[in-house]
Amino acid sequence: MITLEAVSKIYPGRREAALQEVSLQVPPGEFVYLTGPSGAGKTTLLRLLYGAELATEGRVLVGGTDVSRLPPRRLPSLRRRLGVVFQEFRLLPKQSVFENVALSLRVAGLRGTPLLQRVEEVLEQVKLSDLAQAAAGTLSGGEQQRVALARALAPGPALILADEPTGNLDPDNALMIMRLLVGDYVGGATVVVATHDPTLLSLVRGARVIHLQQGRLEQVA
Amino acid sequence: MSAPASKRGPLSRALMQMREDLWLQGVAISTLTVALAIMGVYLVVAFNLHQSLAHMLGGPSLTLVLAAQASPQRGQELAAELSRVPQVKQARYVDRAEALERFRRQLGPHRRLLDDLQENPLPDTVEVVLAPGIAPGQELMAQLQSRLDVAEVVASRPWLHRLEQAANTAGDLALALGILLFLGVVLMVSNTVRLAVHARRDHLELMALVGATRGYMRRPFLVEAVLQGLAAAALASLVVWALSLVLSAPSKLPLGLQLQQLVTYPRLLPLVLAGLAVLAGLMGGFLGVGRTLRLRGSV
Repeated sequence: MITLEAVSKIYPGRREAALQEVSLQVPPGEFVYLTGPSGAGKTTLLRLLYGAELATEGRVLVGGTDVSRLPPRRLPSLRRRLGVVFQEFRLLPKQSVFENVALSLRVAGLRGTPLLQRVEEVLEQVKLSDLAQAAAGTLSGGEQQRVALARALAPGPALILADEPTGNLDPDNALMIMRLLVGDYVGGATVVVATHDPTLLSLVRGARVIHLQQGRLEQVA
Repeated sequence: MSAPASKRGPLSRALMQMREDLWLQGVAISTLTVALAIMGVYLVVAFNLHQSLAHMLGGPSLTLVLAAQASPQRGQELAAELSRVPQVKQARYVDRAEALERFRRQLGPHRRLLDDLQENPLPDTVEVVLAPGIAPGQELMAQLQSRLDVAEVVASRPWLHRLEQAANTAGDLALALGILLFLGVVLMVSNTVRLAVHARRDHLELMALVGATRGYMRRPFLVEAVLQGLAAAALASLVVWALSLVLSAPSKLPLGLQLQQLVTYPRLLPLVLAGLAVLAGLMGGFLGVGRTLRLRGSV
């Protein structure tokens, strides 16, 4: 699903590389933790995967697509196959929970009853059906992160990227989010979760742990 | 979950984002109204000047005064004969009775001055309108003068030819000025759209993140710009109409002219302004959204 071949990333105006010659393979359906301290390059790696940044060197392949050479006009089709979740939720606070979740489906061209059904289905999964018409900005942190997760899951992505998804949540909500990122909920998608919280690592059995340190891949467990 | 919520075309999305920021809509529409009103005033002035010029240039450039013994039939024949001359656009026999009646009309409220006339002092004439670009030169006048039963040839308005040339130059300048004004409106729309894009950048970043194409993100902004343009065109039409009402209030000008005869509100102006607003909305929308929608780096 994901292949990184000697990938380096140096941001303009910076001397130090955010990522240095990282090579990695993640097969379809695998659950991967990306760990390391702040500044280790976790977020940069995720940004390379969803095409927000271009690699300075090396190749980044997602589902067979070379993201490192993808022209901007082809980014939308890549992103419709991905689900991205952020620490700070990134919702439309004035719009309803329904509208926030429906956004990724509308963009993919879904309309009418199929859209309604899919949104209802995903909201049921994340236990937010009762709050469908509430403005997203009025929800608690845990609920907002579930909305963000529902938005990412709605199109049925093949790859889910989560950048510190539990960073702003209490332990109970963090646990709930992690449970939603495995098993039937994600429909067999590959999941990459970036975190610096070691307590999360034991929550998913059989998950691979990839440790980054100063932009280098140090350990794969 | 209501069914209508599942339908979100560009119009629906545009209306939704317009509702979210009414202040921005107010600023955009009022700014555009001022710009389109200026354009409207310009168009009204240009239209009225064009009408006046067309009226003046359409009148006779030469008048052939017929000899006293020339019969009306000879006058008709002469007019027909002159109509076939290449330099002549139109020639028409005007008998003395018609000339007097016309003079009476031109005097307007002072027409009674003619009531005391014992006899009609005006001659029979043939009025000649020259073809565009033909000057009433000495040679042509001498040629006409030589015709049978022509007593005199009067270049009724010798400045007409120069006016025609000046009008052509002024027309080119007016067109250039009109285009400049229109480009000004386009730039104004473009800046308003840029402001709207900036105000909604979080939303746009999110859309880019979930796979929206530039076209998908751009369309509501184009629709919004067109809707704002149409609203502004309607308001600007009202403003220009009100101005033309004020200007066309009865007020006497020198030479007995009436201002209301010189200022006419063109009926098609609202349609023209709406058309220009739609065009400016689309062009300004494209320019305004342009490169501000980034799919890489911002998300």
